Amino acid sequence: MMETDRLIEQLAANLEPVEPLRSPGRRAAAFMLGATLYVALLTLALARPGAADRGVDPAVLVPQLVALAASLLAVRAAFASVVPGHDRSTLVWAAIGVVAWVGALAVGAFGFGASAEHAAVLGARHEIWCVALILAGGAPLVAALAALLRRGAPLRPITTATLAAVAVGSLANVAACFWTPHADGISAFFWHGGAILVLVLACAAGAPFVLTWRVARPLATGLARTSNGAV
Amino acid sequence: MTATDTPIDALGALMRAAQRGDAAAYTELLRSITPRIRRVVLRERAFAGLPEVDDLVQDVLLSVHVARATYDAERPFEPWLLAIVRNRLADGARRYARTGAREINWDHESDVTFGASETNEETAEIGDGRALRAAVRALPEGQREAIELLKLEELSLKEAAAVSGTSVGALKVATHRALRALRRTLATKR
Repeated sequence: MMETDRLIEQLAANLEPVEPLRSPGRRAAAFMLGATLYVALLTLALARPGAADRGVDPAVLVPQLVALAASLLAVRAAFASVVPGHDRSTLVWAAIGVVAWVGALAVGAFGFGASAEHAAVLGARHEIWCVALILAGGAPLVAALAALLRRGAPLRPITTATLAAVAVGSLANVAACFWTPHADGISAFFWHGGAILVLVLACAAGAPFVLTWRVARPLATGLARTSNGAV
Repeated sequence: MTATDTPIDALGALMRAAQRGDAAAYTELLRSITPRIRRVVLRERAFAGLPEVDDLVQDVLLSVHVARATYDAERPFEPWLLAIVRNRLADGARRYARTGAREINWDHESDVTFGASETNEETAEIGDGRALRAAVRALPEGQREAIELLKLEELSLKEAAAVSGTSVGALKVATHRALRALRRTLATKR
């Protein structure tokens, strides 16, 4: 291992100007603006007959508004988690948002005496398209968010990725709830929830490989040459 | 005032200058924070030897370099730095625990430095440079990158992990598999 003084010299010699990251709140707002536009276009492009009626049904509309708020809080917490020393209260707010969203969905699905047979829930084949929409439609958002998060410091990769996946999942779920009429809320709750869970698990599993302390190759090679006495 | 007792607020100003590309300010900043980082490392890792402490300090400095864009001039510098130090110490402890569980000490240095005839024979068999280059090219992406970074560019495990974006453990596994594949490929060509 090279001496610390030589490491400092090398780091200073390879220094390039960097644009300081904007605050997590601003980054989250910018991302949400683009992501909401994308989800709106996706929903309009895929909308089936009868889908427009769902937009005015409070039982569907209210959970989606809560989902958007939960998504914004989760994205903000994700951006804050890659800033060293940032206030951890953003995590608490994200957790409150997720609880409120899941609660709203659960009331929509199970409230007012709604019920469904196990067989009906498992056999709701049209929900497979919703699952595909959440996973495939959410993938570009996950990729975009990962690229933005990699500009920060990967202090807690799994937490960051989980927050990002919750944010994207709740947004994609809005599209999945609006694009076509659903037979019953319970099937949608389990299938959509399952898809979001898959998204969260996949993102959490991939996080240690994507959100890493990455040193630019020329710098690392330069450091190695110096430490080997080749320079 | 010496570099080591630069006030914390001044460190924030130095980091702002470093973000603009001021190498002199950056050098002063890194020289100022190094003793502070070393003190934290020594306090948290009292059992560690001098090389390990140096290793951790340098790890933190590299992380500070990577994360310098995340410093917000409107926030105090010290919590930002300490969050990085704590994170790298925790990572270092996890790495140490994993390495300890997976590796055994090897004291028979004479075997490694060609004391054993088997080693000499194996080395002599890999005499064909072209065959070796072709075999390296044929390796899967991850294994080839591990060999290139560790054996050709001679990076340390930590540096190679930083470049490739994988963990030290994953690199070791990839290198082990790559060497086994190379040995197999070259053996079939003989």
